[in-house]
Amino acid sequence: MTGSGPTAWHVLRGSVRGLNKKFNQDSLYTASVADGAALVLSVADGHGSAAHFRSNMGSRWAVREFADCVTPFARTVVDRQEDPTTWLALFAAARALAGPICHRWRERALLYEAGHPANGAAAGERNPTRADLIPYGTTLLGLVVTQQLLFCWQVGDGDITTSADAGAPPRRPLATAEEEYGDDTDSLCEPEPWVKMRVHCQPMAPLGPRPLLIANTDGLSKSFEDERGYLKFATDVHSALERQGIDKVRLLLEGWLTRAAGKSGDDTTLVGVYAGE
Amino acid sequence: MSSIEADEEMPGGPMANRPVHFFWLLDCSGSMMGNKISELNFAIREALPEMQSAAKSNPAAKLMVRALTFNTGASWHDKQAIDVASYSWKDVHADGVTDMGAAFHLVARELGNLTMPQRALRPVLALISDGGPTDDYRAGLRSIEATPWGQRAVRIAIAIGNDADRSMLKEFLNNPELEPLLVHNAGQLASAIRWASTMAVKAASNAAPNTNSPLSNTGQQWQAPPTTDDEDVW
Repeated sequence: MTGSGPTAWHVLRGSVRGLNKKFNQDSLYTASVADGAALVLSVADGHGSAAHFRSNMGSRWAVREFADCVTPFARTVVDRQEDPTTWLALFAAARALAGPICHRWRERALLYEAGHPANGAAAGERNPTRADLIPYGTTLLGLVVTQQLLFCWQVGDGDITTSADAGAPPRRPLATAEEEYGDDTDSLCEPEPWVKMRVHCQPMAPLGPRPLLIANTDGLSKSFEDERGYLKFATDVHSALERQGIDKVRLLLEGWLTRAAGKSGDDTTLVGVYAGE
Repeated sequence: MSSIEADEEMPGGPMANRPVHFFWLLDCSGSMMGNKISELNFAIREALPEMQSAAKSNPAAKLMVRALTFNTGASWHDKQAIDVASYSWKDVHADGVTDMGAAFHLVARELGNLTMPQRALRPVLALISDGGPTDDYRAGLRSIEATPWGQRAVRIAIAIGNDADRSMLKEFLNNPELEPLLVHNAGQLASAIRWASTMAVKAASNAAPNTNSPLSNTGQQWQAPPTTDDEDVW
C-alpha cells in the first residue's frame, strides 16, 4: 500500500481441525489486489453436522466467490479512496454486494448439486432447489482493507475484530445485540441469506497507524469462557505483534489455534492483517 | 518472564470447554412403585459408565448432569449440576401423583437462569414416565419454550409401558418426526437409558443452523436404540 498510511501490511492466516473432527471444514482466503493497495481476506465455517455433509465444499466456495465478487470492488475503492466525497457511495456499493456475494455462492452450489446430487440420484434428473443446498451450509466473513477504508461482510457466527494501536479496547463492529445460542447460526444455505448479511464500512483513520484486523470462525471465540476473554486475545496478539514481530507471531499462531480448537472442539480459522514496520 | 515462557503463553482470557447440561426428568409417581422404580434406578446407575465414556470421547464438551423427580410436585434430586466424571447415582423413590407440569416449570427456571452461558452446547432433556400428567403440563411446556435454551434443547422421551401418555410425550418432543421410545421390560428400559445417555450427548454436540429457521432440528437426526427381545412385562 502507498501513501501516508502504514508502512507495511502483514497478513496472518491459520486454520486447524477441531478436536475429534474427521477433517477441517473451515476455509480461508487472503490476497492482495491492485499491486498491494488493497487486501481481500475471508474465512468460512462449514457447519459440519450430518445434515451438512458437504459443508467443506460450501465453505471453500464461500471464500472464493466472496473474493471474486469483491476484488473488482476493491480496485474501485483504491481508485476513489483519496476523495472522501466518494466514500458514501462506496459504502452503499459495499452494502449492495451482499446480494451478489450470496447469489454467486448459491449458483455455484446449485451447479455442483445438479451434476453431483447429494441424495445419490443420477445427475441431471431434476433441477436442484434451495432445499438441496442444506448439505453445503456455511458461514462467511470477509474484509476488504485499503489504506483509507475498511469494509466487512458477515453471514452467521464468527467474529470480525478491530484493534487500534491507540490502546483502545478491541471492537467487534458486526457483533449482534443478542449473541446466538450454542451452535445456532445463520447460513448461506438458508433462504435469502443476503437479508441476514451484516455489512460494516468505516474509514481506517480512527484505527490509528498500526491497527490489527481479525476475522475468525467461532471455534476461536467459543474456546474462551466469555467475550472478554476473546477480546483480550485480540489485544494480546496485537501486543505480541508489536513486541515480538510478525514472524514470531506467525510461528506461534498455529499453536494458539490448536489450543483453541481443543477447548471449543470446533475447527478454528483466523485471517488477519497487521499494519507494522 | 523469559521470552520462552512468553512464547508458550496463550493470548486471551481464561479458556474453558463448552458445557452440555443433561437433565433427567423422572416420573416417581405411585404407579412407578416396585419393579419399575427399581429397574429405573438400576438402569441409570448402569448407564453412567457409558455416559462418562461418551463424555471422555468428546473432551471439548463438559458434560454436566442433574436429575429432578416429579410426583406430588417436583424437586431437584441433585442440588446442582455435577460433572459426569464425578456423578454417582442416588436411588429415587416412588409415591404420589404425576405433576409433570411442575417438573417442566422447575427445569424451565434452570434453563432460564444465567448459569448457562450462550457458548454452551444445547442442553438435553430426558423425560421418563409411565403415566399421564395430573397437572397442567401444557403450561409447563410453555415455560420451557419461553426460554432460549428450552427452544433449542435436545429432547428425549421414554414411555414405560402402555399406560404412558404417549401423545403427551410426543408434545414434549416438539418434533413431528420424533416418537417417544416405548419400553416394556427392564432390558428395554436399560437399553433406552443407555442410548439416551450417550446419543443425546452426541446430538447436542452437533452444530445446527439457527433453530428459528426452517432448518430447525436438523441436528436431531438420531435413531432409536435397538430393543431387546425379552418378554413384555409393563
